[in-house]
Amino acid sequence: MAPQPISYLLPEGLDLKSLKEQLAETNTLHEDGAVEASQTFYDSFDWRVWQAGGELVCEQNQINRLCWIDRKTSEYQACLDIQQAPDFHENLPQGELRDQLARVLEMRVLLPQVKISQKLRTLRVLDDEEKTVVRIVLQENRFASLDGKKSGELDGRVMLNPLKGYDKDFDRLRSQLDELKLIAAEQSLYEYALIGIGTKPGDYSSKLNYRLDPDARSDATAKKIMLSLLDTLETNIPGTKANLDSEFLHDLRVATRRTRSAMSQIKGVFEPSELETFKQGFGWIGQVTGPTRDLDVYLLQYDDYRASLPEAIQGDLDPFHSFLVEHHKQAQQTLVKKLNSPHFRKIIKTWRAWLKEPVPKKPTAPNAQRPIASLADQRIRKLHNKVLKDGRSIKAESPAERLHDLRKDCKKLRYLMEFFQSLYPKPEIRQLIKELKTMLDNLGEFQDLQVQAESLEAIGKQMMEEGAPASALMAMGILVGQLLEMQVQAREDFAGLFTRFSSNENQQAFKRLFGG
Amino acid sequence: MHILGVYNIKGGVGKTATAVNLAYLAARQGYRTLIWDLDPQAAATFYFRIKPKVRGGSRKLIAGKVDLDEVVKATDFENLDMLPADFSYRNMDLRLEDAKKPTKQLLKLLRPLSKAYDYVFLDCPPSISLVSENIFRAAEGLLLPLIPTTLSLRTYQQLLDFLEGHRITGLELMPFFSMVDRRKRMHLDVMRDLPDQRGELLKAQIPYASDVEKMGIHRMPVEGFAPNSFAASAYQALWMDVQERLKGGF
Repeated sequence: MAPQPISYLLPEGLDLKSLKEQLAETNTLHEDGAVEASQTFYDSFDWRVWQAGGELVCEQNQINRLCWIDRKTSEYQACLDIQQAPDFHENLPQGELRDQLARVLEMRVLLPQVKISQKLRTLRVLDDEEKTVVRIVLQENRFASLDGKKSGELDGRVMLNPLKGYDKDFDRLRSQLDELKLIAAEQSLYEYALIGIGTKPGDYSSKLNYRLDPDARSDATAKKIMLSLLDTLETNIPGTKANLDSEFLHDLRVATRRTRSAMSQIKGVFEPSELETFKQGFGWIGQVTGPTRDLDVYLLQYDDYRASLPEAIQGDLDPFHSFLVEHHKQAQQTLVKKLNSPHFRKIIKTWRAWLKEPVPKKPTAPNAQRPIASLADQRIRKLHNKVLKDGRSIKAESPAERLHDLRKDCKKLRYLMEFFQSLYPKPEIRQLIKELKTMLDNLGEFQDLQVQAESLEAIGKQMMEEGAPASALMAMGILVGQLLEMQVQAREDFAGLFTRFSSNENQQAFKRLFGG
Repeated sequence: MHILGVYNIKGGVGKTATAVNLAYLAARQGYRTLIWDLDPQAAATFYFRIKPKVRGGSRKLIAGKVDLDEVVKATDFENLDMLPADFSYRNMDLRLEDAKKPTKQLLKLLRPLSKAYDYVFLDCPPSISLVSENIFRAAEGLLLPLIPTTLSLRTYQQLLDFLEGHRITGLELMPFFSMVDRRKRMHLDVMRDLPDQRGELLKAQIPYASDVEKMGIHRMPVEGFAPNSFAASAYQALWMDVQERLKGGF
């Protein structure tokens, strides 16, 4: 493999000037005039580029170039020239990088994370033809947050850049720098810049990241779980209000649902009267955030909807898209009003205050003082048994409601297993959650397809009232037919998936983890 | 990856200067650019101060025993790499004759580089040969410096006849006036009449200028030592014309 650039830090007592003098003793050097350069690093709110092992940098030069850098090797893997700041992958020019970002980002928008401005002085090492054979770039680096509020200096660096076809010269210079005790930097400038603005890559994830103590009191643990959910919910409010991408609202809603599930499913740890207002409050949040999410889902699926129609009538669906965009705008405005309302703020504020209150010394709720591990075992066992019992009783002719009910219980079970997963051996609990998720996806699809078919019909009626052409309604009619066909398929798949979930092997695994 | 040949049957028309300066301008825009000096005289290689030596020579190259990527040298300019000339290139025709599909060998060699470069410039030796036919078949566009004289118009016609006779189609022909001397009556006459007959002619013209000749002293593209010169802006205009043509045809 061709040599890769090396980024060095200067050791104590050696500055750029004396480094240059030392190198000049054995090399013919030419120094170019200093140039200013600037780079902006991008990632999604939940750090998908970082998690995928990359750094995404936009180098602002004569042309703006967006590049994916492999974090391990510092290698530039794919680049694209761009005319405007990057946002969604589908708005980028076509190319390898866009394809890669499509896989990594999905529906998430790219957000600028930090800016680095540099003053670069290049020392060129020349051969006997005065041809450059190695470039040594002396960097002075500054970082700044995007709002400019946080900024500062980063350590100066010395970049040793190989030139293609001059590997031997590169090796020679590398040994010289090693002899001068320069230290190869382990972290990239980006990482230092993020530290500088007080951000840690990966600091947001919608997953539940905490470790529970199995012997801790159940009421205190429940509060800990719910506090972490509240953090997630609150973190997503600004992005939801600004509608940066659809995932902010989605994560906010998931945190809301999980909170409601935690209140009702971690049973007997608080007095019911204490939770009553909060249950209502979170029910309200679920309700007011619903309409925008529904429209988000249609918009996210729109391209697939369109592609599923015969080519000749794909264009007929366009009024549906306009309808979605228009109504999404209205729904979003209403949503922002609700999120800015005193009512919403009060729910969040009082909930946080209550969660932070220490648990009572002498609680009256029956499970309050019970070690959480034992309560978790019991609750998961109970719900698992219910899911098995109800699932077995579902026959081919059972009404759809039975599957919907089963879905609700599966979801409660999944949430419980996720809340408490740190209490159990990781590979085993992960595997069981995965098994459950496969069945849950099927149940979700079964219900979602029905809901979508019904609301597409309702939307069609509304569009007709608003004067949409008949061709649009016919195209939507075909869509509804397809959705219902897919729903029939999902129903047919259920039996097999349930048999798998309720297999002896899985039941044994549940027993091993949760007793009973 | 756009492959552009710079070609004329006749030598001494400003071919190498065109390849070197346009490749430099492409690289300066940020495009990853490769210039391949196919002329055993190695003028382009000399301009970039690179030693005219390719390990294994044209024999190993055409036989596929050396990857192009292994013999590429970086120039002194960012984003600009070079495949240097080698004296053995004078025998390249013989090597090509020995190969299967002798007219498509260069394209085959260049293909693996398609992800590494945005532009490849081929600085071609003069005369019509198997090497030039390879270039016609590999390139998307052909830049043809023409000195505005009746003789060089004849050589252009010879090329057109060759392309037609060998059924080489789809090659974007981009002739342009080179080494233009406005003091010469004949230059002015040819330049007045030809554009009406030849719609493919590019608008930009490269003057006969001492700055172009001085490239041999400075050993770098004009832009590198005389960025504000008339010659430098002429090459910029030419490069803009070429990009425009590649974008949308005409």
